[in-house]
Formats: sequence, structure tokens, C-alpha cells
Amino acid sequence: MKYKEELVRSMEALARYENTVFVGQSVKHSGNAIYNTLKTIPDIIPHGEDKLIEVPVFEEMQMGMCTGMAMNGIVPICCFPRFDFILRCMDALVNHLDKMQHMTEGTFKPKVIMRTSIGAKNPLDGGIQHTQDYTDPIMRMLYEVNVVSLNEPEQIFPAYEEAYKTECSTLLIEWGDYYNEK
Amino acid sequence: MDKQYLIDFETEVKEIYEAGDIKAPVHLSGGNEDQLIQIFEKIDKDDWVFCSWRNHYHALLHGIPRDTLMDMIVRGKSMSVYSDKPKFYSSSIVGGILPIALGTAMSIKMKEEKNKVWCFIGDMTFETGIFYETYKYSRNFGLPLEFVVEDNGLSTNTPTEETWGGKQQVPADVFYYQYERMYPHHGTGNWVLF
Repeated sequence: MKYKEELVRSMEALARYENTVFVGQSVKHSGNAIYNTLKTIPDIIPHGEDKLIEVPVFEEMQMGMCTGMAMNGIVPICCFPRFDFILRCMDALVNHLDKMQHMTEGTFKPKVIMRTSIGAKNPLDGGIQHTQDYTDPIMRMLYEVNVVSLNEPEQIFPAYEEAYKTECSTLLIEWGDYYNEK
Repeated sequence: MDKQYLIDFETEVKEIYEAGDIKAPVHLSGGNEDQLIQIFEKIDKDDWVFCSWRNHYHALLHGIPRDTLMDMIVRGKSMSVYSDKPKFYSSSIVGGILPIALGTAMSIKMKEEKNKVWCFIGDMTFETGIFYETYKYSRNFGLPLEFVVEDNGLSTNTPTEETWGGKQQVPADVFYYQYERMYPHHGTGNWVLF
């Protein structure tokens, strides 16, 4: 299967778990590439549309909201359409989600599955504010959150499956260009 | 639990800290006993409580056992007291707990649970943008989230009103009280040799 097809298959598999929800911009309404990997969800499970929580553009809030949901047993798939936008939620990600197991001595282990994408440069170049790859610096900042780069189609399904099954949170980094190229 | 019980607890923490036996900052509560006792009468044992670095009174009033709390504080966890039962989480980053509390309130609504979330913030946090985002979202979606603003006029030692050039009006559905801090931002005000 191709890169985007693997993403669709992974999202459909995550949607079948009772405790998952998808949170972000363009998870319910069209507007970016991530939407195209989620739009089958309302058709494959009863009340699938209830799993898609479209939120305002407020990344720090979104990240914190997902952390709070996860503390109470929900597994949010927290979608940031571009890596550049994650910089807007660094406090919630780095100071809170990533430090919670340490701060609470393992009492709270919020599991948030974060999706983002390094913006595509082809056929349109999104420009310097929409195409950055911050994988290395973010890996150096995060202690408890796993960071996974999705470079090949065959990595995608097992990586999302593992992200659901593991006890901690995971940030999965997709490549916008590969949606069309691979 | 009465006012004197709370004061005595913090006095004991003060003495242990001044003996040099706590190797981390402590943020002592004081001056707001009556207000907190009154507010916690409204908080159910199954409710979630989110608060900040000055959290010892909140922890005791929500039911964290005295010895458990004292052990945490002595181990250097005054700034991040937590508990799974009762549900209690604190953070030492201004504003950081607000969206987390919101998310927990969302999950309660999704799961059709009956409890609530209580979020305690200071007057400086109340003035920040993230409070307004959290407040607006929670009210628009009818989430079980209560806010309590604890106004001592200061954030560390920065005066809220002077630096913002004023204060916003507190909405009617937000609990609010004023008090004068009994202890400094952290520590006891006395020189300690570690």
C-alpha cells in the first residue's frame, strides 16, 4: 500500500478502539492533508463523526486538552497539520505532557498520540513557516514522549498500532511530500 | 478539618524546611484558610482538583492524607503534589493546568460521568489569554469545570495590577477571593543553611 493509504488504514484502526478521539483543525472539515486520512471514519463505525473533534486554532489549548482527556482514560489522536504549528504548544507538550510521569512518580501516564507532518514542498512549496523539520530538536527536549519518523509506507501501520498499545505518549512525524510521492 | 489544623501543618513544614531537611523549594500557604475551607465544602471527593505550586492546603482539604502529603513535601515535591485518589494534580508553570483541566472536563462529559473539575488559579493567571480561552470554551460547550481565582495581588513578587495596568472583572460564574500572603513566594522568609 502507498503512504497515504497506510495512514488511512491506521486511522481507521485507531478509530475502532472505543476510547479514541481525533482532535485538531480539519479533522472534521476539509482543509489539509490530514483531513483526507480521516474522512472515512464516519462511514466505518457507528457514530464515527462523534470521534472527530474539530477545535479552534489554539494549539497550546489543544495539546493541554488532549493531556487532560488522557488523564481520564481517553486516547486522543492530537493532529497538528504542520510541524511548524507544534511550536505554538511547546509548554503543554514539553513542560506538562512530557514531564507528567516523572512529576507524579508514574501515577498519571497520559497517552496522547500526536500526528504532525513536515510540510510538502511539491508541487507547491509551503514556504519557510510551513515546511520545517524540527525532529532533532524536539527529540532532545522530550524525555517521556516517544518520537517516531514515518519515512516509509510499511512503517506506518505498526507505528500507530504501537503508539496505541504503549503506556506513554508518542509523536509521529509524517512527510507531506510522501502523501503523493510514495 | 479546621483552620488551625491547616496552619499547624504549614508550621511543621516550615520547621522541617528551616532545619535544612527539604532540598527543594516549598511554597507555603497561609492567610486563606477560611476561604478555602468554605470552597472545599462544595467540592465532592470524586471531583478533580487542579492547582498550582502553592497547593498544600488544597491537597489536605481534598483528602490527601496528612502523612502522604508531608512525605511528598519532604521528598521535594511541594511544587508538584499529585494524587490518583482523590484526583489531584498541580503544576508550577503559570497557566499550564488550565487546558489540562479543560480536557479532563471534556472527558467527563464524553464518558457521562457525574463528577466535576475544579481549577484553582492565581490573579496573574486569571489575566492571561489562556484563562480566557479555557473559560470561553468550557462555557460554550457546557463543561463541568469550575474556576477559583485566588487573588493575593502577586505573581512571585510581580504585582498583577501594576503590570497589567488594571484588572479584568471576574465573571459571575467564577469563584473569587482575595487574601494577603502569609509567607513569601517560596521558602519561609528566614535564612536556611542547606
